[in-house]
Amino acid sequence: MIYFFEETEDGFLTAFLAAFQDERALFAAENTQLVLGEERVYLQTDSLKAEKARLRLQSFDRECLSDLRLLLRCGKTDRFQVAFGYLKAVANAKAPVRARLADRAVFIAMEYVKKVRYEIHRFHGFIRFMETASGALYAPFSPDNDICDLLVPHFRARLPAYPFVLHDVSRKKAAVYDGEHVFVAPLTQAEVVLSAKENEWQGLWKQYYAAVNIPSRERLKQMRGYMPARYWKFLPEKNENASANR
Amino acid sequence: MKNNEQMFDFWKLLEYNDSMISQEKLTILTESAKYDVSCSSSGSARKNAGGIGNGYVAGCCHSFTPDGRCISLLKILLSNDCIYDCKYCPNRVSADVPRVSATPEEICELTMDFYKRNYIEGLFLSSAVHKNPDYTMERLVLVVKKLRTEYNFHGYIHLKGIPRADERLCREAAKYADRMSYNMELPSEQSLKLLAPQKSKQSLLLPMRQLTQEKRQFVQDKKKGLIQGHFLPAGQTTQMIVGASPEADGQILRLTQALYRNMDMKRVYYSSYIPVVHDALLPEVGAGQLREHRLYQADWLLRFYGFTVEEIVDEEQNLSLEFDPKCAWALRHMHLFPVEINRADLAQLLRVPGIGVRNAHKILQARRYTRLTFEDLLKMKIALKRAKHFITCDGKYLGAKNDTTVRGLLIAAENGENAVQLDVFGALPKTNEQKIMLSTRQNALMALTGEL
Repeated sequence: MIYFFEETEDGFLTAFLAAFQDERALFAAENTQLVLGEERVYLQTDSLKAEKARLRLQSFDRECLSDLRLLLRCGKTDRFQVAFGYLKAVANAKAPVRARLADRAVFIAMEYVKKVRYEIHRFHGFIRFMETASGALYAPFSPDNDICDLLVPHFRARLPAYPFVLHDVSRKKAAVYDGEHVFVAPLTQAEVVLSAKENEWQGLWKQYYAAVNIPSRERLKQMRGYMPARYWKFLPEKNENASANR
Repeated sequence: MKNNEQMFDFWKLLEYNDSMISQEKLTILTESAKYDVSCSSSGSARKNAGGIGNGYVAGCCHSFTPDGRCISLLKILLSNDCIYDCKYCPNRVSADVPRVSATPEEICELTMDFYKRNYIEGLFLSSAVHKNPDYTMERLVLVVKKLRTEYNFHGYIHLKGIPRADERLCREAAKYADRMSYNMELPSEQSLKLLAPQKSKQSLLLPMRQLTQEKRQFVQDKKKGLIQGHFLPAGQTTQMIVGASPEADGQILRLTQALYRNMDMKRVYYSSYIPVVHDALLPEVGAGQLREHRLYQADWLLRFYGFTVEEIVDEEQNLSLEFDPKCAWALRHMHLFPVEINRADLAQLLRVPGIGVRNAHKILQARRYTRLTFEDLLKMKIALKRAKHFITCDGKYLGAKNDTTVRGLLIAAENGENAVQLDVFGALPKTNEQKIMLSTRQNALMALTGEL
């Protein structure tokens, strides 16, 4: 059976309960290839049921819901299937399963969780703020996973006096810190006026990047491994257009 | 109205132009600093106290340069105007290079504006010995103190210590910096005398020892609640140039071990010598990257794998270039292998070539729930290319039949040739194994007669 559901935590947990006994359950995500002849179910989100599922799962493993929340943010299209497999393993074992790595379902789920966590860590470093004329900071980026709001606590702790916008360009949404509150809002294109000195500072940064390199020791493969080319678009030191006179 | 706007911009320009460093200065002071290896920003949990920045205990890389190194800190010299004449150094007094010094404000502004844009995790400030050691150290302390107190900067600061500077300056610096480092430069007194005549082992070890002792005292007092504040939360590191002088790896690693044990060093860095300067006393070719890599591997064995230097290499010998140091050790101790994955304790697992700290822990966790087979290890993405010769899984052994073949296969693995893919559903096909033995016999013989 193929399960269609609202792509929220409650929606997913509703589907999880409905599919629990189904050995061949398929969780539909965007662009799922529909298998011919499979029955389909369209599920209405039931928040009460979802809450019940949460409590039950929590009684087996207090941490499994935070695993689930990271899994649902994974950019892989089969994330719902993987999350289903993982929670099913928790429910069957009635205990934490995260260390049972020889279990395929658990291993893949943990890999996905790791991917999301790793990308959060990476963007703690790869985010590039531009200073706007008002003094607020603006950073466009395009992460693999849906993490823009998960980056906020880090930057809020170190730049408490600066309002900032973390703009996930591909998901067309942004996490905003206005100096006091944090919220997530849909954002397609931002109108940004840069501060007078922004381009000069970016120029100094590019200069620094070029000067600190040791050309006789070129190891491009290493560099790409640590900093994949798909992230370069928004790094001024790797891309001339990143200064984006937006 | 328009006029007003222009006035405003004009004032802003003035205010900035005072302390924005020029591109030329930045380039010279960066290029003079770039051969320093350390760039780590880990180990400090400094909190933001109403300004900008905080520590990131795990450390954080912000970019990577085409040489494969990370940019975590803004690595820069305060001045490249040096009175010393260390033979290997591009800034030595006898070198004909442009000399510049930055003002404390220039460094502070640069740090703040780079940090705000999330280009860097903090500052790595060093300096050539300008005028005299005390003057230089005073200037360095001035910058970090300014950053902390006037600019309210709480991000990471790594400060290079200047040997022969007054011990009070050294103590003052430690209050503001997260980490300090005095470079050992060369692994022996003789080499220092020859290549860095103004430095001596004593002048380097003295401040290191001072900081070690004062930090120990500080930690004790803080525990008792007698004092507050910081004293080098991320400790000390040091760095040695490898290949500019004749010391063997064994000697270098003995020094390393002593530094870890007696000086509480967080890291010892090795920088393979790059000939940027020509001098009759210096080798014309740089030390290979591989040698540096092997030293780091051995360093890791000392810190995370429970090895002692005596187990790794004899004092007068170099590390094998063919095998990583753990492989080399295992090949000398074949009677201890194979170990059973389902029974071996952590210390034993850590000594299996190809199994690292993370995988050892993964195995310990996973085997509590099931008896692990080779198939399980593959599912857990544990690489078996090396490990399979040293382990059994549930009693089954998939490695090569004799030691010579193991050596051959390990060399092949090291050279990146994917010798034989592990077939989980049976032992290696016989023909394949023979072929491998033949193709690498020469290698294997070399390994036998070589340094092993």
